[in-house]
Amino acid sequence: METFINPKSLFHLLLLPCLLLYSSIAYNSSPVEAAMHTNNWAVLVCTSRFWFNYRHMANTLSLYRTVKRLGIPDERIILMLADDMACNTRNKYPAQVFNNENHRLNLYGDNVEVDYRGYEVTVENFLRVLTGRHETAVPRSKRLLSDEGSHILLYMTGHGGDEFLKFQDSEELQSHDLADAVKQMKEKHRFKELLIMVDTCQAATLFNQSPGVLAIGSSMKGENSYSHHLDSDVGVSVVDRFTYYTLAFFERLNIYDNASLSSLFSSYNPSLLMSTAYYRKDLYKRRLEEVPVTNFFGSVMETIHTDAAYKALSRRNSGRFEDEMSLDQSVHHIKRRMLIKVNDGDEIHDINPEGEEGASKCPWSTFRKKFQKAENVDSLLNYGLVAMIPLLVISTWLVQ
Amino acid sequence: MAETKEKSLSDEKPKPRVRPIVRLGIFLISHSFHVSVVCCTAGVLALFLLPVLAKNTYISENALMPGSASPMLSNQHVSDGNRLVKDLTNPNSKSSETGIESHKIIAQYMLDLGAEVSFHKFHPQMNQFHPLHFFSSPDSGKIQENYSCSSYGINTVGIIRAPHGDGKEAIVLVTPYNALKSGFGEALSLGIAYSVFSLLTQVTWLAKDIIWLVADSQYGEYAAVAAWLREYQTPKFSSLSTPNAEMCPDVNNLFELKGHSISGSKFSNSFRRAGTMASALVLKVRDQNEQFEDTISIYAEASNGQMPNLDLINVVNYLAVHRQGLRVNVEKLWSLLNSSWLKSLGEIFESLAKVAKSLYPKWKFGIPATEYVEGTATLASSLYYQALGVPTGPHGAFRDYQVDAITLEISPKFSLDKVWRNDILLRGGRLIEGVIRSVNNLLEKFHQSFFLYLLTSPSKFVSVGVYMIAFALLIAPLPMVAASLYVDANSSSNCSKGDSSTPSAITDTDEHSIAIRSWRWLNSAKLVFIVHLWGAIVSLLPYFISQIPDCSPTTSFMIWVLLSILSLLTLNSVLASPLACAKATQEKEWALVKSVTISSVFIGLGLMSVINFATAEIGALLMVPMCLLAQPLKLDVRAGTLRSFCRMICNLVLGHIAFPPAAFFLLKGMLDGFGNANVGDFWMWVESLWAWNSATYLFIVEVTYIFSHG
Repeated sequence: METFINPKSLFHLLLLPCLLLYSSIAYNSSPVEAAMHTNNWAVLVCTSRFWFNYRHMANTLSLYRTVKRLGIPDERIILMLADDMACNTRNKYPAQVFNNENHRLNLYGDNVEVDYRGYEVTVENFLRVLTGRHETAVPRSKRLLSDEGSHILLYMTGHGGDEFLKFQDSEELQSHDLADAVKQMKEKHRFKELLIMVDTCQAATLFNQSPGVLAIGSSMKGENSYSHHLDSDVGVSVVDRFTYYTLAFFERLNIYDNASLSSLFSSYNPSLLMSTAYYRKDLYKRRLEEVPVTNFFGSVMETIHTDAAYKALSRRNSGRFEDEMSLDQSVHHIKRRMLIKVNDGDEIHDINPEGEEGASKCPWSTFRKKFQKAENVDSLLNYGLVAMIPLLVISTWLVQ
Repeated sequence: MAETKEKSLSDEKPKPRVRPIVRLGIFLISHSFHVSVVCCTAGVLALFLLPVLAKNTYISENALMPGSASPMLSNQHVSDGNRLVKDLTNPNSKSSETGIESHKIIAQYMLDLGAEVSFHKFHPQMNQFHPLHFFSSPDSGKIQENYSCSSYGINTVGIIRAPHGDGKEAIVLVTPYNALKSGFGEALSLGIAYSVFSLLTQVTWLAKDIIWLVADSQYGEYAAVAAWLREYQTPKFSSLSTPNAEMCPDVNNLFELKGHSISGSKFSNSFRRAGTMASALVLKVRDQNEQFEDTISIYAEASNGQMPNLDLINVVNYLAVHRQGLRVNVEKLWSLLNSSWLKSLGEIFESLAKVAKSLYPKWKFGIPATEYVEGTATLASSLYYQALGVPTGPHGAFRDYQVDAITLEISPKFSLDKVWRNDILLRGGRLIEGVIRSVNNLLEKFHQSFFLYLLTSPSKFVSVGVYMIAFALLIAPLPMVAASLYVDANSSSNCSKGDSSTPSAITDTDEHSIAIRSWRWLNSAKLVFIVHLWGAIVSLLPYFISQIPDCSPTTSFMIWVLLSILSLLTLNSVLASPLACAKATQEKEWALVKSVTISSVFIGLGLMSVINFATAEIGALLMVPMCLLAQPLKLDVRAGTLRSFCRMICNLVLGHIAFPPAAFFLLKGMLDGFGNANVGDFWMWVESLWAWNSATYLFIVEVTYIFSHG
């Protein structure tokens, strides 16, 4: 029995891989399977300059107002306006923007926070916002700090054509640029779900390159998107048809409504729009009837009730989330709760998984794959416990 | 041209393979007679087809958005305007000899609105012919030596600054006004301008400053506007030139306005400026009118056939027709309207279009015959005024500074009713307001639409791409005929040489003689150059003749003719004498002379079409047949056949028609009847042409008198 000098250490040696295996499964499965909708972001872009494009700014500001009303806070809205119509010298109502000729609603009130304005609205900056590749000097308010639990609404309006959208009358965003940016976002876990809404001529062509998300455009290929009406007082068209009817849909809603995306999409009447609204959902997993519009246009998410969440929180997860705490308090509050639920009852997970993951991956990869197929973590836990019993028996026998 | 020549030269030596384009060139040259007949006919026909091919105008600049804003001009503003009209037509205001009183009234009204006001004093510049200033930019006003205190004009200028604007751009509104003998129309135009001005002082949407220039038209509308523009665009920094007007005592009285004490800060003695001019509108109201409805005439031609951007005309046309219900006119040659041959031509085109449509329903190019006649009349006047190069109104002064400008002349159906007057003030004012608001929306200069176009109606135009076809067809035969003549001349002399010389001639001398022969055209070029030189001298003569004081037009014309003949004789004796003896030996040289002449005419017409299309087109119509038919009279007489006789007659007729004085008399005779034609008229006409530095004038010298070489 000279070989078994330290039977206890052997026991640990055997036990450790099992635990590591388990922990790695638990860790990896959480973003893919169990990441929950935890927060909402909106990127609203008006891409065109010049006074006669007043309506594009009005479109964007109206959408801004709507999503804000439905609960997305200002710090999670990136508002990009390519020109300043409110202070244009031609504006009959200085510092005011209207989207209706009745002038009842000033869209450019005191609480509008424009993140990118004027010549800052470029294709480069837009793609940087989406992909998160900013220079270090860019302030947090100008960044899209979304994560794998984010639902993002990307609204764009301007002048477009076949597979492009014009920015600033000087450059273009092409459909493959957009598709590439979305792909990068996906790789970087920058969103859970993304809705792209575009109001331009031939908007549908912008999704030709398959960004792999839910997308809706105001018009098909070869169609124009038209303005809704002219404000003869201001002297320009003030809103586009597609946006006008989108807003009309949302004006009826409040934050508690359960209207689904399909009801929004079917609300577009081609004869009123004078173009055919086109949406592609082939790469979207959920059924549109079950998705409330507030999932994108508002900030309403599922709340999870947990027992004694706060009691264990500070002790268990303080080390793990230390570096992420600085990001966004409320987001991670929810996220943390979710992870706790997954790991509930297993104290072992307090050890640092990031460090050991690499070591465990190689020898146990085949094993892990098999286990990944398991449907939920609870069953995995049971399997693990069962697998431990023979090991325990053998080890105690060896010790004796 | 040169290429075809080279091609024909290289063709002389037989080559195994000839490139298709060269072969095509040779084919065209060898059939130059048929080609030239076909091309010329097609060119003339294409010119007559232009009204059919005219397209509808459209507003090409997105930013303009005419008529998208509802007019804000209210009855309040109209009654303001009415007040000014009453004050100006009040007999008390005309008591002053110089008309200063009415200028003071206008200035006072402007001051009351809160505008910046200044007076601009100018001395009318005599129109002087500067032969070397054709292509120079308009110079800063040369100070006249012989001005006197009695002859000066006063422009009243009011400026509204855009409340939120950056003051970099401005829109100019011009109303010519003669304080001494103003008709009711002029007062009414001031009323309209004032009502618009009073509105614009209140609005918040101005992005460009507004300048209202009341141009003193007692020395001509153009002179006043040009003087103000010269001052505006070329600021004088030396103190020497400025005080000339202020030295006159009663000009200084001008500044003693009664409003001076009230709003003194807004009034200034110095010249006031705003930003770069985006565009300018000249507003006139005609005194009497035969029309049965309110019409508005647009005058657009500036000097040398330059036109304002088509968008400006489109905006005015759109607003006048669709918003204010005014009828829009552009200038027409009225005499053409009743011509029966034009009507029948229109009917032919109409029926042709019907046939074409029945063959293939998608062909829709026909227009009704009456429309065709009107279109042709408008096109003809458009061509005429562009070719003449004389601006049709004060707007021409703006075009010299690359500012788009047009003159709007409102001719109301006349009645003295007060309701009617308010109505015309309201509609005219709203039209001006709409145009200003539209131009105010502009972000850049006018650049989207056409600058090179001919109008066939206020809403139809022929663009440069279409009308150049007619011109190109017309001048296409010239290089071919020149090349074929050259080839003929060379080959015929070769033949004669070949007969005389023995086949055993030494190749050295043969090559030498070929080299000499190939340069022989230089002789003819010299001759043509001399003729052109003479033309240039003739064209410069009027400048010196005009220096002779107290000369009636008829006598100066006579002096001109005499001096011209004298200079021709001198030139002939001095320069052409060696040529004359050469001419005696080589009678067949005429073909080469003709070839060189045609080449030079081709080059000249091509260049002219770039400078002023209309001039080139009319010139081509006159000169191309002449060039093609020209033949020495002696030869024709000698041949004695019927064909050559016909050709001789044609030559003589054409040669005389194309001679400018003859052409002028014929035209005048056709339009006014021959009775009142006078040699002096031609002098006046030529005088008016130099006044505008017209390119036409340059062109007239192009008359080359081939017959003299016959």
